[in-house]
Order: sequence, then structure tokens, then C-alpha cells
Amino acid sequence: MNEADRESVEAAFEPLLQLEMEMTTFLSDWHHCDQLSTFIGRIVSHNRTDPVRHSNVFSSVLNELLEVSFRGGSPDGQIDCAVYRHGAVERVRLTFPCPPHQRQFVGEAVSKTRRADALARHLDSISTDLASNRDAVFLDLAINFDARIRLENSAPPSITLVVDLPLQGIVN
Amino acid sequence: MSTGSFSKPFSAAFDINSQEFSLTGVIRPRSVDEIAVNISMLKGAIDQVRGVLYINVKRLIQMNNTAFHAFVRVFLDACRARPDLRFVIVTSSVVGWTTRMFSHLNKIEPQITIEVYDSKFYPGQSFVEDASFIPILRTQTKMTWRHERTILPRHGMRPGIAMADICCGIGDFAVLVQKEFQPLRIVALDHSRASLAYARDVATGFGITDIEYTYGDASEMLLEDSQFDFVSCRHSLQIFNRPDVLLAELYRICKPGGRVYVTNEKNSHCLGEPRSQSIQWTYNEVAKLFSHFEMDVELGPKSRRYFADAGFEDIVVESIMVSNLDGDPQDFADVIAAWENVYAGEMAVKRGDSPEFIQRFRQGFQDHIFAALHPKGYAGWPIWVASGRKPR
Ligand SMILES: C[S@@+](CC[C@H](N)C(=O)[O-])C[C@H]1O[C@@H](n2cnc3c(N)ncnc32)[C@H](O)[C@@H]1O
Repeated sequence: MNEADRESVEAAFEPLLQLEMEMTTFLSDWHHCDQLSTFIGRIVSHNRTDPVRHSNVFSSVLNELLEVSFRGGSPDGQIDCAVYRHGAVERVRLTFPCPPHQRQFVGEAVSKTRRADALARHLDSISTDLASNRDAVFLDLAINFDARIRLENSAPPSITLVVDLPLQGIVN
Repeated sequence: MSTGSFSKPFSAAFDINSQEFSLTGVIRPRSVDEIAVNISMLKGAIDQVRGVLYINVKRLIQMNNTAFHAFVRVFLDACRARPDLRFVIVTSSVVGWTTRMFSHLNKIEPQITIEVYDSKFYPGQSFVEDASFIPILRTQTKMTWRHERTILPRHGMRPGIAMADICCGIGDFAVLVQKEFQPLRIVALDHSRASLAYARDVATGFGITDIEYTYGDASEMLLEDSQFDFVSCRHSLQIFNRPDVLLAELYRICKPGGRVYVTNEKNSHCLGEPRSQSIQWTYNEVAKLFSHFEMDVELGPKSRRYFADAGFEDIVVESIMVSNLDGDPQDFADVIAAWENVYAGEMAVKRGDSPEFIQRFRQGFQDHIFAALHPKGYAGWPIWVASGRKPR
């Protein structure tokens, strides 16, 4: 996609909600992942066809993403979570600070979700103990929730995950 | 945010008699250590069972990857160690992602299979979820609404509340309530996709966009505890083989101090003049026919006891008689014709009744229609309305 195309697609996504939090606050309690994903899920789903079930599915995905940032994030700076919508798709853009090696791990894990062998890798990650937790999470989102995941360029030490979720298909 | 305020608690249980291990609620541990007790319970269960172990995840609302992998590890190890053992994972069509997530296991170990429990989960299901029910529901609601709109305020209905209509059918009650009482929020739940699709169309037709129609199983709802000021469930306790289970769910989602409102019939009390005897015979048979399919359409007057047993207070019960004099008698006649179609045309046939029986059975409905349309006739359909307050 060239720059102009990308911009027009980006413009089509309408912002629904944005939430910022100090990383230190976020990292102070594991339950923030669950609470934020449930809370945000409800807000963004209220005008979807089946709000109760849409928010359940949305929360599943967002919780995993927040858990990734909880486990891999560093306590300086802010976590920023924004949700957009375009037609049947919700887009989550999650930015959080993390050490350079985490950046690399996440980058590799994300790229595995886009390869043709993603399903085989997913089965592999289920049946063996060896696969890293991060690989398993992103593969799960891609295979079970049809998530399209990419990393966006952002200034170190931050990392930005962009996840497109066509959840209407799973809900209905 | 207080911890736990959003989530349902998580629990695991094992029942040796049914060889069933069940996981319910929200399971999002930070590490496997947090669920170590549950993992060892599962391992203990595997050691005790023979043949099949059922893994019930019907009410699993959330499960993170950490928990998923931890439990799956145990299943897969057990498959290798115990080739004699099979696992049946019982999921729900309501929480679609669990079916997706667990179905991969079958590709890894054929000993593990997946069953979606709610395709056929109680005896009367196929009749009441069928699209052929739609015309009946619509006219029924039109007739009962004349009475209910004045009754509802006595049972706690008022503007500005959060309400849920469980087993909403085609959602027309929710639309009428929305227009008449302006609640702040309405969630309307049913397990018939055909009815929900119809419901969304009806609401759109009325320009109503803020009713949250949701697909769900009323006896295992995703809705959280203590959320609604008013929970209605109309004509539906009577079609469940376990009305007490459904009522407990209605109680659970009701706020303390809020009210649960139900309507039910006592079919054998449908009546008409002239031809009262034939009419009465048929409706007595309707009650028996439903009980054959484990539905109690005689429940109406029993609702007081159900409410008391479920722990409600300030229980209010009243009855209404919907009749051919309420509005257009043809509406009444249409409803009876629809009953005849489903009860005599489908249910009696399914039960294996003889043509002679079915003919006599149909005659009572025809006579009821005759009474409804007769210039001096009277035809009645009694309904019991009950509500109770959840203690604070
Ligand atoms: C007799 S109808 C009543 C519908 C509506 N309340 C009315 O009065 O018009 C019963 C409804 O219960 C629904 N139903 C049956 N089993 C259900 C379940 N387990 N969970 C949710 N809804 C269910 C059926 O799909 C049907 O729409």
C-alpha cells in the first residue's frame, strides 16, 4: 500500500475512544487488564448488533493485548489504547513503552501471524510446551479471532500494535 | 476501579457421578500458579474417571491464553498416558470463541471432541424456537399489551430504569415498553436467531435503535449479576423443564431492590361460550401435550410458590383475562388458529397421536374460534402475572 492509500484507509476509521494511563499505575495491578478490557469492550460494543456478545469477544482480544503490554512493558511513560471503527471492523491501537529486546520479540511474534503456516504454528504452540507465550497469544488472536495484527513505526522506547478485528463474523 | 467489580468470579468443579469437570466465569490468571488448585483438581478428576471425561465450558465467560494452555497441557498429557480415555469438551454457541479455541484440540488428539450443547438442550426447544411461532407471538403480544401497559407500573415499571426482557421472542414487548415507559436501557435476550433477526427488523421499522438484542441461553446468561431494575420474562418460565433454574438466573441479574416480572398461562383454563365442553376438553389436552414435552403450561398460579422458593419478597400476583371483547375478535381467532397449527399440526403429530385424536383436538380450537367470532359469544385466555422484589 502506498502512503496515499494508507492515509485514505486510516481516514475511514472513525475514532471511538482513547484511554491513556501512566505505565506505573497500569503495572500496579494485574487486574487492570481484565477491568480495562471489560470496560472498553462494553463502551465500544454498545451500538453493535449484539452488544453483549460483541463486548465479550472484544474483551477477550483486548485483554490479551493488555496482558502482552503488562508482561513486556516498562514502567516509564504511558500506555495509550485507542479504538477505531470502520464498517464491520474495530481497530485497536495500543502503544506502550518496552525494552528493545521486547520490541524485537513482539515484532517476530507478530510477523508469524501473517505467514501461510500460521495455523500449523498455532497447533504447534498448543501441543508443545516450548513455544513462547507471546507467539501463542498472537497466533491465537489471528486464528481464533481473525485478527490482523501489525506493528506501526513508533519512536523507541515505545511500541505500537495495530490490530484489526472483524468481530461481527464471530458474533453473528 | 475496585478489583473484581467487572468480573464474575471463576470456579472449577468436578462431579464424579456425571464424570464432568466444569469451568465457569472469568479465568484470567497472571501465572499458572494462581490456578494450580484447579489444575490439580482436573488431574485428580482424570485419575478417577473411566471412559469419558466431560469438560463443561458452557459458562466459561473469559479465559486467557495462560489458563487455556495450562488446562490443555493436562488434557494432551492425559491423552498420551491414557489411550482408554476420551474427552468431550462441551461448549456453548453463545460464547462462539470457546468452540473455535477448543476445536483445534481434535486436530492434535482425536480422543478429544467438541460438542456445542445448546443446539438441542431441552425437550420443547425445536417447537418454541421455530420461525412458525413468530406470527403467534406478534398477535399475542398485541392482545396482552392492552392489559399489561396498565399493570406494569404496579410491578415496578417506570421511566429511566435499566431493564432486561429475557426470552424476548420477536422483541415486540421491548419495543412497546420502550415507547410507553422510556427506560434508560433495555437488553432483550432470546435463543432463537430467527426471532432476533425479526426483532431487529421490527425495532428498525419503529426507528428504535437502542434496544440491545442479544443471543443467549436464558438459563446460562452472559449478563452480569445485579444489573437491572426490572427483569421481565413473559410466557417462558412455562416452557422450561426447570423453571426454577431460569428464575434463579432472572434473580441473579436483577439488582437488589429491583423486581422480576413474569407472565404465564394455565392453559386448561382457556374458555369459551358457546361450545364450552369441546373447548375445555381440548385445552385440558393442551396441558397434557406440553407436559409430554416437559413444559408446564399450567404454571401461572404456581408462580407465587416459585417466587417464594427463589427468595423474592413483596410478591404480587394478579390474573388477567384476555378476551375476544378486548379489541378485534379476529385477532383472538388468529391466535387460536396459530395455536392449532403448532399444537395439533406439529406437537401432537410428534407425540404420535392418532388421526382421530388430532381431529377431536383440532375441533376444540375451531370451537374456540367460533365462540370468539360469534356475535353473542365469549372467548377467554387467562394469564397470570407475577412479580417479586429481590431483597436488598
Ligand atoms: C413462548 S415464547 C415467548 C416469547 C415472548 N416473551 C412473548 O411473550 O412473546 C418463548 C421464547 O423463549 C425462547 N427461548 C426458549 N428457550 C430459550 C433459552 N434457553 N434461552 C433464551 N430464550 C429461549 C424462545 O426462542 C421463544 O422466543
